[in-house]
Amino acid sequence: MSTAATNTRTAGGTSVRALMPWIIAAIVLLVLPIFLGSRSQLTILSQMGITMVFALAYNMLLGQGGMLSFGHAVYMGLGSFMCLHVMNANFFEYLPLPLLPLIGGMFGLGFALIIGSFSTRSAGTVFAMISLGIGELFAALVLIVTVFFGGEEGISGYRDEGLPVLGIEFISNIEVYYLVAIWLFISTVLMFLFSRTPVGRMANAVRDNPERAQFLGYSARWVRFVSFAVSGFFCGVAGGLSAILFEIATETDLNVAASGAILLITFLGGVAFFWGPIIGAIVFTLLQTVLGLQTHLWELYLGVVFVGVVMFFPFGLSGIIMAHAPAAKMGRLGMLVVPYLTCVLPAIIGVLGIASLVEMIFHVRSGAEGEHDMTLFWIDFSTHDVLPWVVALAVAVIGIGLARRNAPAFKAAWETANHIPEAV
Amino acid sequence: MTAALELSGLKKSFGKTEIIRGVDLSINQGERHAIIGPNGAGKSTLFNLITGRFPQTAGSVRLNGHDLAGLAPYEINRMGLSRSFQITNIFPRMTVFENVRCSLLWSQGYKYSFWHQVSRSRELTEGAEAILEQINLTSRASLPAGVLSYAEQRALEIGITIAGGANVIMLDEPTAGMSHSETDYIVDLIRKVTENKTLIMVEHDMGVVFGLADRISVLVYGEIIATGAPEDVRGDPKVQEAYLGAAMEAH
Repeated sequence: MSTAATNTRTAGGTSVRALMPWIIAAIVLLVLPIFLGSRSQLTILSQMGITMVFALAYNMLLGQGGMLSFGHAVYMGLGSFMCLHVMNANFFEYLPLPLLPLIGGMFGLGFALIIGSFSTRSAGTVFAMISLGIGELFAALVLIVTVFFGGEEGISGYRDEGLPVLGIEFISNIEVYYLVAIWLFISTVLMFLFSRTPVGRMANAVRDNPERAQFLGYSARWVRFVSFAVSGFFCGVAGGLSAILFEIATETDLNVAASGAILLITFLGGVAFFWGPIIGAIVFTLLQTVLGLQTHLWELYLGVVFVGVVMFFPFGLSGIIMAHAPAAKMGRLGMLVVPYLTCVLPAIIGVLGIASLVEMIFHVRSGAEGEHDMTLFWIDFSTHDVLPWVVALAVAVIGIGLARRNAPAFKAAWETANHIPEAV
Repeated sequence: MTAALELSGLKKSFGKTEIIRGVDLSINQGERHAIIGPNGAGKSTLFNLITGRFPQTAGSVRLNGHDLAGLAPYEINRMGLSRSFQITNIFPRMTVFENVRCSLLWSQGYKYSFWHQVSRSRELTEGAEAILEQINLTSRASLPAGVLSYAEQRALEIGITIAGGANVIMLDEPTAGMSHSETDYIVDLIRKVTENKTLIMVEHDMGVVFGLADRISVLVYGEIIATGAPEDVRGDPKVQEAYLGAAMEAH
């Protein structure tokens, strides 16, 4: 939030400029169903929104508080299970469904208070190990405490049995989408405001230097504990929304793999900016749903993207976006268009060529017996012909070759665009 | 008047090794006190005992008459004692402005509040700006603290230390690793910001010590061998023998 830091120096009123991103976000959430209105698209959007809440809550720990948790799906999962029990309870018919995530949030908060009371004693490896242990513990409990977790089948319920609000029964996907969108918006605003409170600021201080924070009058442990509890609340909210959308919660919602996924999403988006995890949630959900429908190998690609981002762009996708800020401020983004077309575009095409080869190899090795036909990028062909292999290889070699050849020019253009003239 | 800081029979052992071997020292309100001594004498350990970073093995530390035994660093800080570190100890990824503002939060009563917006507080903003003005870093306010030059980081370190308004300030080698001009700048800064406060500092630079301190204590092998006005300490044969002579010649 480096730009915010300068804004905050002018104390007092909230400027329209500071509110603009929020207004745009609200409008986007409002009109998105006009363009993406099918049942499956609305479900993907709702899933994306829930992942955003979860990732933002997770980043309260990772990015803002410097706590690496390997078991954070527990709080979302528990919120989800709890909400499904509420949906199955007799009093559910008197409860308006939109309030259900609040119950999930309270439950997430409660568990975060209990576990945080000892796990936030220190950050670093100790915290990470405790969180991993808690994650494993609850994953095991799911199969043991079947009364609450429903064993391998999990717990399911029906969202439309709640009290209708203004005649809305939340049967259709569009109604659920707007419910998620409203909770996403409120949660994001609240989490953003939290980051600007005294304890939110001290979370950054404790992340940077816990010892020094102690000598400013703050107990590092207590600061971590507050962040942990608030994060637990919003994880629970995400869990409640997930219960409403999917009407089921199972072991996969709170196991260590789910915790790993949220770490990956948050890191992919970038932990350094408040909105980074939102980008991570968008990209991850798209890979998972859209690409997941196209290829069995989507997790391989996700892994490659993740490793690539971690290695070359430690500030994540949001870091890549923000790297363009200096050039944009000086009105020099235009200078980068040609280098992007001559270097980055061929690189992307080359990578797609490599991916095609991978897909074809996978198809030959794992496809059904005698099944030679496949479709890639809207082209039908047979994997037993030579031509497709030659084409894919050529695309890969030429794409990567062009990118490599033009890389120095790209680098030079990048440096020119970002060169800050000496202050006068 | 109660002493600002009173140490009696203070001892600290790490395993079998006794680092601080019974220190008695009384520092008056408003005094500028320097602790000097050869390397390994236990100066930093003494600081860490006073500020609650380490628990003492025996003896007591009293701040304005209150016993500090068993208190955590943050509790001691809330009682009005603030310290800086020998190795620069700031919040590198936060802006300079944020560094200072965070240092003001507790003393302005915000505690662990999650219902105030820091940017809406005029006192916080103006307080932080006033400190930045004092430490001469106004033009650096929006930079991440980690990119400042060494001398600027040391100035910020002092700014963070004094921001909370503590009346006992402890500085651990504030001029370590600085050039002559930087040292002069920091000494002026220290003099300015510790006006009407009690200052306790560890320092190797004798020019700084004799320029700033009202009284000096000489710590050798975990014991104070002399305490007094700079001239008395300078003239003390015991001190000359143990430490000062060599250091003065080198100076």
